[in-house]
Amino acid sequence: MSRIIVVTSGKGGVGKTTTTSNLGAALAKQNRSVALIDADFGLRNLDLLLGLEERVVYTAIDVLAGECRLAQALVKDKRLKGLVLLPAAQNRNKESVNPEQMKKIATALAKGYDYILIDCPAGIELGFRNAISAANEALIVTTPEVAAVRDADRVIGLLEAEGVNKISLIVNRVKPLMVEENKMMSVEDVLELLGVPLIGVVPDDEKVIVATNKGEPLVLGEYESVPAQAYSNIARRLEGEKVPFLDLMANQGNLLSRLRRMFGG
Amino acid sequence: MKRENRTTPKVDIRRYTDDQDGCMTFEPTISLDKIDDLPDSSPLVNRYSQISLKRDGEEMLLILPTQSEINSDLPWSETWQELKHLLKTKEQSWQLGTNVCLVAKDRLLDARQLQTIAETLEDVKLSLVTVSTNRRQTAVAAATSGYSVQQNTMSQPLIEPQNDSEETTTATMAEPLYLQSTVRSGVEIRHPGTIVIFGDLNPGGKAIAAGDILVWGRLRGIAHAGAQGNHQCRITALQMEFTQLRIADAVARAPKLRPRRLSPELAFMSTEGIRLAKTSEFAKNYIFSSPQKAWIDKNQAK
Repeated sequence: MSRIIVVTSGKGGVGKTTTTSNLGAALAKQNRSVALIDADFGLRNLDLLLGLEERVVYTAIDVLAGECRLAQALVKDKRLKGLVLLPAAQNRNKESVNPEQMKKIATALAKGYDYILIDCPAGIELGFRNAISAANEALIVTTPEVAAVRDADRVIGLLEAEGVNKISLIVNRVKPLMVEENKMMSVEDVLELLGVPLIGVVPDDEKVIVATNKGEPLVLGEYESVPAQAYSNIARRLEGEKVPFLDLMANQGNLLSRLRRMFGG
Repeated sequence: MKRENRTTPKVDIRRYTDDQDGCMTFEPTISLDKIDDLPDSSPLVNRYSQISLKRDGEEMLLILPTQSEINSDLPWSETWQELKHLLKTKEQSWQLGTNVCLVAKDRLLDARQLQTIAETLEDVKLSLVTVSTNRRQTAVAAATSGYSVQQNTMSQPLIEPQNDSEETTTATMAEPLYLQSTVRSGVEIRHPGTIVIFGDLNPGGKAIAAGDILVWGRLRGIAHAGAQGNHQCRITALQMEFTQLRIADAVARAPKLRPRRLSPELAFMSTEGIRLAKTSEFAKNYIFSSPQKAWIDKNQAK
Protein backbone atom coordinates (compact mmCIF):
# COMPACT_ATOMS: atom_id res chain seq x y z
CA MET A 1 0.00 0.00 0.00
CA SER A 2 1.31 3.38 -0.88
CA ARG A 3 1.73 6.06 1.71
CA ILE A 4 0.35 9.55 1.32
CA ILE A 5 2.41 11.90 3.47
CA VAL A 6 1.88 15.62 3.86
CA VAL A 7 4.86 17.82 4.74
CA THR A 8 3.58 20.73 6.75
CA SER A 9 4.60 23.28 9.38
CA GLY A 10 2.13 26.10 9.86
CA LYS A 11 4.83 28.75 9.74
CA GLY A 12 6.41 29.69 6.46
CA GLY A 13 10.09 29.51 5.66
CA VAL A 14 11.03 26.64 7.93
CA GLY A 15 11.98 24.32 5.08
CA LYS A 16 8.91 22.37 3.98
CA THR A 17 9.72 22.52 0.30
CA THR A 18 13.41 21.78 0.82
CA THR A 19 12.46 18.82 2.98
CA THR A 20 9.93 17.55 0.43
CA SER A 21 12.39 17.72 -2.46
CA ASN A 22 15.22 16.09 -0.54
CA LEU A 23 13.10 13.36 0.96
CA GLY A 24 11.57 12.63 -2.43
CA ALA A 25 15.01 12.34 -3.97
CA ALA A 26 16.34 10.25 -1.08
CA LEU A 27 13.43 7.83 -1.29
CA ALA A 28 13.80 7.55 -5.05
CA LYS A 29 17.49 6.82 -4.51
CA GLN A 30 16.42 3.91 -2.35
CA ASN A 31 14.56 2.53 -5.37
CA ARG A 32 11.13 3.68 -4.33
CA SER A 33 8.70 5.27 -6.72
CA VAL A 34 7.79 8.71 -5.45
CA ALA A 35 5.28 11.31 -6.60
CA LEU A 36 5.66 14.81 -5.20
CA ILE A 37 2.60 17.05 -5.21
CA ASP A 38 3.08 20.77 -4.93
CA ALA A 39 0.00 21.95 -3.06
CA ASP A 40 1.20 25.53 -2.85
CA PHE A 41 -1.00 26.92 -5.60
CA GLY A 42 -0.06 30.42 -6.62
CA LEU A 43 3.33 30.25 -4.91
CA ARG A 44 4.84 27.14 -6.33
CA ASN A 45 8.49 26.43 -5.58
CA LEU A 46 8.96 22.72 -5.56
CA ASP A 47 9.75 22.60 -9.30
CA LEU A 48 12.50 25.19 -8.76
CA LEU A 49 14.13 23.25 -5.98
CA LEU A 50 14.11 20.10 -8.06
CA GLY A 51 15.42 21.95 -11.11
CA LEU A 52 12.38 20.95 -13.13
CA GLU A 53 10.92 24.37 -13.81
CA GLU A 54 11.55 24.48 -17.53
CA ARG A 55 9.96 21.10 -18.04
CA VAL A 56 6.59 21.92 -16.53
CA VAL A 57 3.90 21.79 -19.21
CA TYR A 58 0.64 21.03 -17.43
CA THR A 59 -0.32 21.60 -13.83
CA ALA A 60 -2.73 20.06 -11.34
CA ILE A 61 -5.35 22.61 -12.40
CA ASP A 62 -5.19 21.38 -15.99
CA VAL A 63 -5.70 17.84 -14.78
CA LEU A 64 -8.73 18.87 -12.75
CA ALA A 65 -10.14 20.84 -15.66
CA GLY A 66 -9.80 17.77 -17.83
CA GLU A 67 -7.39 19.47 -20.21
CA CYS A 68 -4.84 16.72 -19.87
CA ARG A 69 -4.46 13.32 -18.32
CA LEU A 70 -2.81 12.98 -14.93
CA ALA A 71 0.13 11.10 -16.43
CA GLN A 72 0.78 13.95 -18.87
CA ALA A 73 1.06 16.51 -16.11
CA LEU A 74 3.64 14.55 -14.18
CA VAL A 75 7.18 15.83 -14.67
CA LYS A 76 9.73 13.03 -14.54
CA ASP A 77 13.08 13.67 -12.96
CA LYS A 78 15.82 12.68 -15.42
CA ARG A 79 18.43 12.11 -12.72
CA LEU A 80 16.36 9.71 -10.68
CA LYS A 81 14.19 6.94 -11.94
CA GLY A 82 10.94 6.81 -10.04
CA LEU A 83 10.70 10.45 -9.00
CA VAL A 84 7.91 12.55 -10.49
CA LEU A 85 6.42 15.93 -9.69
CA LEU A 86 2.88 17.15 -10.10
CA PRO A 87 3.31 20.92 -10.31
CA ALA A 88 0.88 23.44 -8.90
CA ALA A 89 -0.52 26.22 -11.02
CA GLN A 90 1.28 29.49 -10.55
CA ASN A 91 -1.42 31.68 -12.10
CA ARG A 92 -4.15 30.61 -9.70
CA ASN A 93 -4.57 30.75 -5.98
CA LYS A 94 -5.57 28.32 -3.28
CA GLU A 95 -9.28 28.83 -3.74
CA SER A 96 -9.17 27.27 -7.19
CA VAL A 97 -8.96 23.79 -5.68
CA ASN A 98 -11.02 22.10 -3.01
CA PRO A 99 -10.16 19.25 -0.62
CA GLU A 100 -12.18 16.68 -2.59
CA GLN A 101 -10.27 17.44 -5.77
CA MET A 102 -6.93 17.13 -4.00
CA LYS A 103 -8.05 13.84 -2.55
CA LYS A 104 -9.00 12.60 -6.00
CA ILE A 105 -5.58 13.44 -7.42
CA ALA A 106 -3.64 11.94 -4.51
CA THR A 107 -5.61 8.70 -4.48
CA ALA A 108 -5.20 8.39 -8.24
CA LEU A 109 -1.44 8.82 -7.87
CA ALA A 110 -1.35 6.37 -4.98
CA LYS A 111 -2.21 3.59 -7.38
CA GLY A 112 1.08 3.98 -9.21
CA TYR A 113 3.58 5.15 -6.61
CA ASP A 114 4.95 3.92 -3.30
CA TYR A 115 5.10 7.35 -1.76
CA ILE A 116 3.03 10.45 -2.36
CA LEU A 117 4.65 13.46 -0.69
CA ILE A 118 2.50 16.58 -0.53
CA ASP A 119 4.23 19.91 -0.08
CA CYS A 120 1.83 21.95 2.02
CA PRO A 121 1.62 25.74 1.85
CA ALA A 122 2.18 27.82 4.99
CA GLY A 123 -0.84 28.81 7.01
CA ILE A 124 -3.91 26.91 8.13
CA GLU A 125 -6.44 28.10 5.59
CA LEU A 126 -7.89 26.38 2.56
CA GLY A 127 -4.48 25.62 1.07
CA PHE A 128 -3.58 23.71 4.21
CA ARG A 129 -6.90 21.90 4.28
CA ASN A 130 -6.47 20.94 0.63
CA ALA A 131 -3.01 19.58 1.28
CA ILE A 132 -3.95 17.45 4.28
CA SER A 133 -7.27 16.17 2.91
CA ALA A 134 -5.77 13.11 1.27
CA ALA A 135 -2.94 12.43 3.69
CA ASN A 136 -2.83 9.55 6.09
CA GLU A 137 0.51 10.56 7.55
CA ALA A 138 2.17 13.86 8.28
CA LEU A 139 5.70 15.14 8.65
CA ILE A 140 5.89 18.28 10.71
CA VAL A 141 8.84 20.50 9.88
CA THR A 142 9.86 23.02 12.49
CA THR A 143 12.91 25.03 13.39
CA PRO A 144 14.06 25.48 16.98
CA GLU A 145 12.35 28.86 17.30
CA VAL A 146 9.45 29.75 19.54
CA ALA A 147 7.20 30.96 16.72
CA ALA A 148 7.82 27.93 14.52
CA VAL A 149 7.20 25.54 17.39
CA ARG A 150 4.03 27.33 18.41
CA ASP A 151 2.66 27.07 14.88
CA ALA A 152 3.71 23.44 14.64
CA ASP A 153 1.75 22.78 17.82
CA ARG A 154 -1.36 24.35 16.32
CA VAL A 155 -0.97 22.34 13.13
CA ILE A 156 -0.56 19.09 15.05
CA GLY A 157 -3.82 19.85 16.84
CA LEU A 158 -5.58 20.46 13.52
CA LEU A 159 -4.15 17.29 12.00
CA GLU A 160 -5.28 15.25 14.97
CA ALA A 161 -8.76 16.71 14.66
CA GLU A 162 -8.79 15.67 11.01
CA GLY A 163 -7.90 12.13 11.97
CA VAL A 164 -4.29 12.21 10.75
CA ASN A 165 -2.73 10.47 13.69
CA LYS A 166 0.57 9.25 12.35
CA ILE A 167 2.61 12.39 12.84
CA SER A 168 6.40 12.61 12.94
CA LEU A 169 8.62 15.58 13.57
CA ILE A 170 11.61 16.96 11.69
CA VAL A 171 13.60 19.62 13.47
CA ASN A 172 15.26 21.66 10.76
CA ARG A 173 18.08 24.23 10.85
CA VAL A 174 19.55 23.23 14.18
CA LYS A 175 22.71 25.09 15.06
CA PRO A 176 24.53 22.77 17.45
CA LEU A 177 26.91 25.45 18.68
CA MET A 178 24.11 27.82 19.58
CA VAL A 179 22.27 25.04 21.35
CA GLU A 180 25.36 24.29 23.38
CA GLU A 181 25.68 27.89 24.40
CA ASN A 182 22.02 27.87 25.43
CA LYS A 183 21.12 30.44 22.81
CA MET A 184 18.79 28.18 20.88
CA MET A 185 16.05 25.76 21.83
CA SER A 186 17.37 22.25 21.82
CA VAL A 187 15.73 19.38 19.99
CA GLU A 188 14.71 18.03 23.40
CA ASP A 189 12.91 21.29 24.24
CA VAL A 190 10.96 21.10 21.00
CA LEU A 191 10.07 17.45 21.51
CA GLU A 192 8.97 18.02 25.04
CA LEU A 193 6.47 20.63 23.96
CA LEU A 194 5.08 18.98 20.86
CA GLY A 195 4.99 15.43 22.12
CA VAL A 196 5.20 13.70 18.75
CA PRO A 197 7.89 11.20 17.71
CA LEU A 198 11.06 12.58 16.17
CA ILE A 199 12.05 11.29 12.75
CA GLY A 200 14.95 13.55 11.91
CA VAL A 201 17.21 16.43 12.87
CA VAL A 202 18.72 18.50 10.08
CA PRO A 203 21.55 20.91 10.87
CA ASP A 204 21.68 24.42 9.50
CA ASP A 205 24.09 24.45 6.58
CA GLU A 206 24.99 26.88 3.81
CA LYS A 207 25.14 23.99 1.38
CA VAL A 208 21.34 23.78 1.59
CA ILE A 209 21.04 27.29 0.14
CA VAL A 210 23.55 26.55 -2.60
CA ALA A 211 21.75 23.36 -3.57
CA THR A 212 18.38 25.10 -3.51
CA ASN A 213 19.59 27.81 -5.86
CA LYS A 214 21.11 25.26 -8.20
CA GLY A 215 17.88 23.32 -8.33
CA GLU A 216 19.51 20.15 -7.23
CA PRO A 217 18.42 18.25 -4.13
CA LEU A 218 21.33 17.90 -1.70
CA VAL A 219 21.04 14.16 -1.57
CA LEU A 220 21.97 14.06 -5.27
CA GLY A 221 25.08 16.18 -4.77
CA GLU A 222 28.51 14.85 -5.57
CA TYR A 223 29.84 15.39 -2.11
CA GLU A 224 28.50 13.96 1.07
CA SER A 225 27.22 16.65 3.36
CA VAL A 226 25.74 16.42 6.83
CA PRO A 227 22.26 17.68 5.82
CA ALA A 228 22.20 15.24 2.89
CA GLN A 229 23.06 12.46 5.30
CA ALA A 230 20.30 13.65 7.62
CA TYR A 231 17.72 13.58 4.81
CA SER A 232 18.82 10.11 3.68
CA ASN A 233 18.45 8.93 7.25
CA ILE A 234 14.92 10.31 7.45
CA ALA A 235 14.06 8.45 4.24
CA ARG A 236 15.44 5.25 5.74
CA ARG A 237 13.47 5.79 8.92
CA LEU A 238 10.33 6.28 6.83
CA GLU A 239 11.06 2.86 5.39
CA GLY A 240 11.04 1.49 8.91
CA GLU A 241 14.79 1.16 9.40
CA LYS A 242 16.24 2.00 12.76
CA VAL A 243 18.94 4.58 12.11
CA PRO A 244 20.70 6.33 14.99
CA PHE A 245 20.47 10.13 14.98
CA LEU A 246 23.53 12.00 13.75
CA ASP A 247 25.84 13.46 16.32
CA LEU A 248 25.68 17.05 15.18
CA MET A 249 28.27 18.09 17.71
CA ALA A 250 30.92 15.76 16.31
CA ASN A 251 32.75 18.26 14.14
CA GLN A 252 31.78 21.42 15.94
CA GLY A 253 33.60 23.77 18.19
CA ASN A 254 37.23 24.29 18.98
CA LEU A 255 39.62 21.87 20.58
CA LEU A 256 38.90 23.08 24.08
CA SER A 257 35.12 22.66 23.92
CA ARG A 258 35.52 19.29 22.26
CA LEU A 259 37.82 18.13 25.00
CA ARG A 260 35.39 19.46 27.57
CA ARG A 261 32.59 17.45 26.00
CA MET A 262 34.77 14.38 25.93
CA PHE A 263 35.27 14.59 29.67
CA GLY A 264 31.61 15.13 30.24
CA GLY A 265 31.88 18.80 31.16
CA MET B 1 10.44 28.71 54.99
CA LYS B 2 7.71 30.31 53.08
CA ARG B 3 8.03 29.54 49.48
CA GLU B 4 5.01 31.53 48.41
CA ASN B 5 6.78 34.77 49.11
CA ARG B 6 9.61 33.95 46.83
CA THR B 7 7.48 32.77 43.98
CA THR B 8 4.69 35.29 44.13
CA PRO B 9 4.18 36.38 40.56
CA LYS B 10 3.96 39.98 39.61
CA VAL B 11 0.32 40.53 40.12
CA ASP B 12 -1.76 42.88 38.20
CA ILE B 13 -5.31 43.16 39.39
CA ARG B 14 -7.79 44.89 37.25
CA ARG B 15 -11.26 44.31 36.14
CA TYR B 16 -11.23 41.39 33.84
CA THR B 17 -12.12 42.31 30.34
CA ASP B 18 -11.98 39.80 27.66
CA ASP B 19 -9.97 40.71 24.64
CA GLN B 20 -11.48 38.74 21.87
CA ASP B 21 -15.06 37.63 22.00
CA GLY B 22 -18.22 39.40 22.76
CA CYS B 23 -17.07 42.40 24.69
CA MET B 24 -16.11 44.48 21.74
CA THR B 25 -19.61 44.38 20.42
CA PHE B 26 -20.83 46.41 23.37
CA GLU B 27 -18.69 49.30 22.38
CA PRO B 28 -19.59 51.73 19.67
CA THR B 29 -16.00 52.03 18.56
CA ILE B 30 -13.03 49.83 19.07
CA SER B 31 -10.87 51.36 21.71
CA LEU B 32 -7.32 50.46 22.56
CA ASP B 33 -7.92 51.03 26.20
CA LYS B 34 -9.75 47.92 27.09
CA ILE B 35 -9.67 48.47 30.80
CA ASP B 36 -11.96 51.45 31.04
CA ASP B 37 -15.56 52.05 30.16
CA LEU B 38 -16.70 48.54 29.80
CA PRO B 39 -19.95 47.26 31.17
CA ASP B 40 -19.69 45.00 34.16
CA SER B 41 -18.45 41.70 32.96
CA SER B 42 -21.35 39.45 32.30
CA PRO B 43 -21.02 35.77 33.06
CA LEU B 44 -18.02 34.81 31.04
CA VAL B 45 -18.36 31.15 30.45
CA ASN B 46 -21.82 31.69 29.24
CA ARG B 47 -20.86 34.23 26.70
CA TYR B 48 -18.77 31.77 24.84
CA SER B 49 -20.72 28.76 25.74
CA GLN B 50 -19.87 25.81 23.62
CA ILE B 51 -20.99 22.37 22.66
CA SER B 52 -21.40 19.93 25.48
CA LEU B 53 -22.02 16.25 25.70
CA LYS B 54 -23.54 14.72 28.78
CA ARG B 55 -25.27 11.65 30.00
CA ASP B 56 -28.98 11.69 30.63
CA GLY B 57 -30.20 8.33 31.85
CA GLU B 58 -29.85 5.83 29.06
CA GLU B 59 -28.94 8.28 26.35
CA MET B 60 -26.43 11.05 25.79
CA LEU B 61 -27.33 14.65 25.14
CA LEU B 62 -25.35 16.64 22.62
CA ILE B 63 -26.16 20.25 23.36
CA LEU B 64 -25.39 22.96 20.84
CA PRO B 65 -25.10 26.57 21.99
CA THR B 66 -27.99 28.80 20.98
CA GLN B 67 -27.60 31.46 18.33
CA SER B 68 -27.54 34.17 20.95
CA GLU B 69 -24.92 32.40 23.04
CA ILE B 70 -22.46 32.08 20.24
CA ASN B 71 -23.09 35.76 19.79
CA SER B 72 -22.47 35.90 16.09
CA ASP B 73 -22.76 33.74 13.05
CA LEU B 74 -19.97 31.35 13.90
CA PRO B 75 -19.35 29.39 10.74
CA TRP B 76 -20.67 25.87 10.70
CA SER B 77 -17.21 24.47 10.00
CA GLU B 78 -15.98 25.91 13.32
CA THR B 79 -18.82 24.32 15.22
CA TRP B 80 -18.08 21.03 13.57
CA GLN B 81 -14.34 21.30 14.35
CA GLU B 82 -15.23 21.95 17.95
CA LEU B 83 -17.49 18.92 18.05
CA LYS B 84 -14.80 16.71 16.62
CA HIS B 85 -12.30 17.98 19.15
CA LEU B 86 -14.71 17.45 21.99
CA LEU B 87 -15.48 13.89 20.99
CA LYS B 88 -11.82 13.08 20.52
CA THR B 89 -10.58 14.39 23.81
CA LYS B 90 -13.47 13.67 26.10
CA GLU B 91 -13.28 10.62 28.24
CA GLN B 92 -15.18 7.98 26.35
CA SER B 93 -17.31 6.71 29.14
CA TRP B 94 -20.28 5.66 27.05
CA GLN B 95 -21.33 2.22 25.90
CA LEU B 96 -20.89 1.37 22.23
CA GLY B 97 -23.89 2.39 20.21
CA THR B 98 -25.39 4.65 22.85
CA ASN B 99 -28.26 6.72 21.53
CA VAL B 100 -27.75 10.44 21.27
CA CYS B 101 -30.28 13.22 21.42
CA LEU B 102 -29.11 16.36 19.65
CA VAL B 103 -30.35 19.42 21.50
CA ALA B 104 -30.20 21.96 18.71
CA LYS B 105 -32.31 24.64 20.39
CA ASP B 106 -32.76 27.58 18.04
CA ARG B 107 -29.98 26.63 15.68
CA LEU B 108 -30.83 26.09 12.07
CA LEU B 109 -29.47 22.81 10.79
CA ASP B 110 -29.98 21.43 7.32
CA ALA B 111 -30.04 17.76 6.33
CA ARG B 112 -26.39 17.82 5.33
CA GLN B 113 -25.25 19.29 8.63
CA LEU B 114 -27.31 16.72 10.51
CA GLN B 115 -25.67 14.00 8.47
CA THR B 116 -22.20 15.37 9.26
CA ILE B 117 -23.04 15.35 12.96
CA ALA B 118 -24.36 11.79 12.73
CA GLU B 119 -21.23 10.63 10.91
CA THR B 120 -18.95 12.34 13.39
CA LEU B 121 -20.81 10.68 16.24
CA GLU B 122 -20.61 7.32 14.50
CA ASP B 123 -16.83 7.58 14.50
CA VAL B 124 -16.89 7.38 18.28
CA LYS B 125 -19.59 4.71 18.29
CA LEU B 126 -22.50 6.92 19.16
CA SER B 127 -25.69 6.92 17.15
CA LEU B 128 -27.82 9.96 16.57
CA VAL B 129 -31.45 9.05 17.13
CA THR B 130 -33.37 12.07 18.31
CA VAL B 131 -33.20 15.73 17.38
CA SER B 132 -34.71 18.23 19.74
CA THR B 133 -35.26 21.66 18.28
CA ASN B 134 -37.51 24.67 18.41
CA ARG B 135 -36.97 25.66 14.80
CA ARG B 136 -39.45 24.31 12.32
CA GLN B 137 -36.94 24.05 9.48
CA THR B 138 -34.53 21.98 11.56
CA ALA B 139 -37.41 19.75 12.62
CA VAL B 140 -38.41 19.20 9.01
CA ALA B 141 -34.81 18.44 7.98
CA ALA B 142 -34.44 15.99 10.86
CA ALA B 143 -37.73 14.27 10.13
CA THR B 144 -36.87 13.83 6.45
CA SER B 145 -33.52 12.34 7.41
CA GLY B 146 -35.33 9.82 9.54
CA TYR B 147 -34.57 11.05 13.07
CA SER B 148 -37.26 11.26 15.65
CA VAL B 149 -38.03 14.86 16.41
CA GLN B 150 -38.90 16.66 19.61
CA GLN B 151 -40.07 20.16 18.98
CA ASN B 152 -40.17 23.05 21.43
CA THR B 153 -38.26 21.52 24.22
CA MET B 154 -37.18 24.85 25.64
CA SER B 155 -39.55 24.50 28.55
CA GLN B 156 -38.37 21.03 29.41
CA PRO B 157 -35.63 20.50 31.97
CA LEU B 158 -33.44 19.17 29.19
CA ILE B 159 -31.95 22.57 28.88
CA GLU B 160 -29.40 23.28 31.55
CA PRO B 161 -30.17 26.12 33.91
CA GLN B 162 -26.68 27.58 33.47
CA ASN B 163 -27.48 28.25 29.86
CA ASP B 164 -30.05 30.71 30.99
CA SER B 165 -28.16 33.95 31.17
CA GLU B 166 -30.12 35.57 34.03
CA GLU B 167 -29.51 32.75 36.45
CA THR B 168 -25.93 32.08 35.63
CA THR B 169 -24.17 33.37 38.69
CA THR B 170 -26.35 31.44 41.06
CA ALA B 171 -26.66 28.33 38.97
CA THR B 172 -24.98 25.17 40.07
CA MET B 173 -21.94 24.25 38.08
CA ALA B 174 -21.88 21.57 35.46
CA GLU B 175 -20.16 18.30 36.21
CA PRO B 176 -16.39 18.41 35.69
CA LEU B 177 -15.03 18.10 32.19
CA TYR B 178 -12.33 15.50 31.95
CA LEU B 179 -10.02 15.78 28.94
CA GLN B 180 -7.36 13.23 28.23
CA SER B 181 -5.18 14.95 25.71
CA THR B 182 -2.81 17.83 25.39
CA VAL B 183 -4.50 21.15 24.73
CA ARG B 184 -2.51 22.55 21.85
CA SER B 185 -2.02 26.06 20.54
CA GLY B 186 -5.19 27.57 19.14
CA VAL B 187 -7.54 25.36 21.13
CA GLU B 188 -9.83 26.96 23.65
CA ILE B 189 -11.62 24.80 26.20
CA ARG B 190 -14.59 26.45 27.87
CA HIS B 191 -16.70 24.75 30.46
CA PRO B 192 -19.27 25.94 32.99
CA GLY B 193 -17.71 23.77 35.68
CA THR B 194 -14.33 22.38 36.64
CA ILE B 195 -11.86 21.33 33.95
CA VAL B 196 -9.42 18.46 34.43
CA ILE B 197 -6.74 18.10 31.78
CA PHE B 198 -4.79 14.90 31.76
CA GLY B 199 -1.97 16.20 29.59
CA ASP B 200 -0.31 19.53 28.96
CA LEU B 201 -1.86 22.90 28.34
CA ASN B 202 0.49 24.23 25.69
CA PRO B 203 1.34 27.86 25.02
CA GLY B 204 -1.33 29.37 22.81
CA GLY B 205 -3.92 27.04 24.31
CA LYS B 206 -6.59 28.29 26.69
CA ALA B 207 -8.78 26.77 29.37
CA ILE B 208 -11.68 28.77 30.77
CA ALA B 209 -13.71 27.27 33.57
CA ALA B 210 -16.43 28.46 35.86
CA GLY B 211 -14.86 26.22 38.47
CA ASP B 212 -11.32 25.04 39.16
CA ILE B 213 -8.72 24.02 36.62
CA LEU B 214 -6.50 21.01 37.25
CA VAL B 215 -3.72 20.24 34.83
CA TRP B 216 -2.07 16.89 35.30
CA GLY B 217 0.91 17.99 33.25
CA ARG B 218 2.54 21.28 32.33
CA LEU B 219 0.50 24.42 32.31
CA ARG B 220 2.13 26.67 29.73
CA GLY B 221 -0.82 28.42 28.19
CA ILE B 222 -3.60 30.52 29.67
CA ALA B 223 -5.89 29.25 32.40
CA HIS B 224 -8.90 31.14 33.68
CA ALA B 225 -10.65 29.69 36.71
CA GLY B 226 -13.80 31.03 38.30
CA ALA B 227 -14.65 32.76 35.07
CA GLN B 228 -18.12 33.61 36.33
CA GLY B 229 -16.66 35.57 39.19
CA ASN B 230 -15.96 32.95 41.82
CA HIS B 231 -12.85 34.00 43.77
CA GLN B 232 -12.63 30.69 45.54
CA CYS B 233 -11.60 28.83 42.40
CA ARG B 234 -8.05 27.59 42.09
CA ILE B 235 -5.71 26.50 39.35
CA THR B 236 -3.27 23.73 39.91
CA ALA B 237 -0.70 22.02 37.71
CA LEU B 238 2.17 19.60 38.04
CA GLN B 239 4.37 22.27 36.49
CA MET B 240 3.35 25.90 36.44
CA GLU B 241 4.95 27.54 33.42
CA PHE B 242 1.93 29.59 32.44
CA THR B 243 1.73 32.52 30.07
CA GLN B 244 -1.06 34.02 32.09
CA LEU B 245 -3.37 32.98 34.91
CA ARG B 246 -6.76 34.47 35.61
CA ILE B 247 -8.97 33.85 38.57
CA ALA B 248 -12.36 35.55 38.46
CA ASP B 249 -11.47 39.15 37.57
CA ALA B 250 -7.76 39.08 38.40
CA VAL B 251 -4.93 38.52 35.99
CA ALA B 252 -1.39 37.40 36.73
CA ARG B 253 1.48 37.18 34.34
CA ALA B 254 4.31 34.73 34.70
CA PRO B 255 7.07 35.99 36.96
CA LYS B 256 10.36 36.70 35.25
CA LEU B 257 12.29 34.38 37.49
CA ARG B 258 11.12 30.89 38.15
CA PRO B 259 12.73 28.14 40.18
CA ARG B 260 14.52 25.61 38.04
CA ARG B 261 12.94 22.57 39.57
CA LEU B 262 9.23 22.90 39.50
CA SER B 263 7.02 21.08 41.92
CA PRO B 264 3.22 20.90 41.72
CA GLU B 265 1.88 24.35 42.45
CA LEU B 266 -1.46 25.91 43.01
CA ALA B 267 -2.64 29.40 42.15
CA PHE B 268 -5.26 31.04 44.32
CA MET B 269 -6.73 34.40 45.08
CA SER B 270 -5.12 36.09 48.07
CA THR B 271 -6.03 39.49 49.42
CA GLU B 272 -3.26 40.94 47.26
CA GLY B 273 -4.12 39.14 44.07
CA ILE B 274 -3.17 35.84 42.56
CA ARG B 275 -0.50 33.88 44.38
CA LEU B 276 1.25 30.59 43.99
CA ALA B 277 1.83 28.00 46.67
CA LYS B 278 3.05 24.45 46.75
CA THR B 279 0.02 22.27 46.18
CA SER B 280 1.06 20.01 49.03
CA GLU B 281 1.11 22.89 51.51
CA PHE B 282 -1.89 24.85 50.39
CA ALA B 283 -4.64 23.01 52.21
CA LYS B 284 -3.02 23.19 55.61
CA ASN B 285 -2.04 26.83 55.39
CA TYR B 286 -4.94 28.60 53.78
CA ILE B 287 -8.61 29.06 54.39
CA PHE B 288 -11.15 30.88 52.27
CA SER B 289 -12.65 34.00 53.75
CA SER B 290 -15.95 34.87 52.15
CA PRO B 291 -16.13 38.52 53.29
CA GLN B 292 -12.66 39.22 51.93
CA LYS B 293 -13.30 37.11 48.85
CA ALA B 294 -9.84 35.65 49.16
CA TRP B 295 -7.83 32.84 50.64
CA ILE B 296 -6.07 33.92 53.82
CA ASP B 297 -3.32 32.44 55.90
CA LYS B 298 -4.82 30.27 58.62
CA ASN B 299 -2.23 31.36 61.17
CA GLN B 300 -2.79 35.04 60.61
CA ALA B 301 -6.54 34.61 60.67
CA LYS B 302 -6.52 33.79 64.36
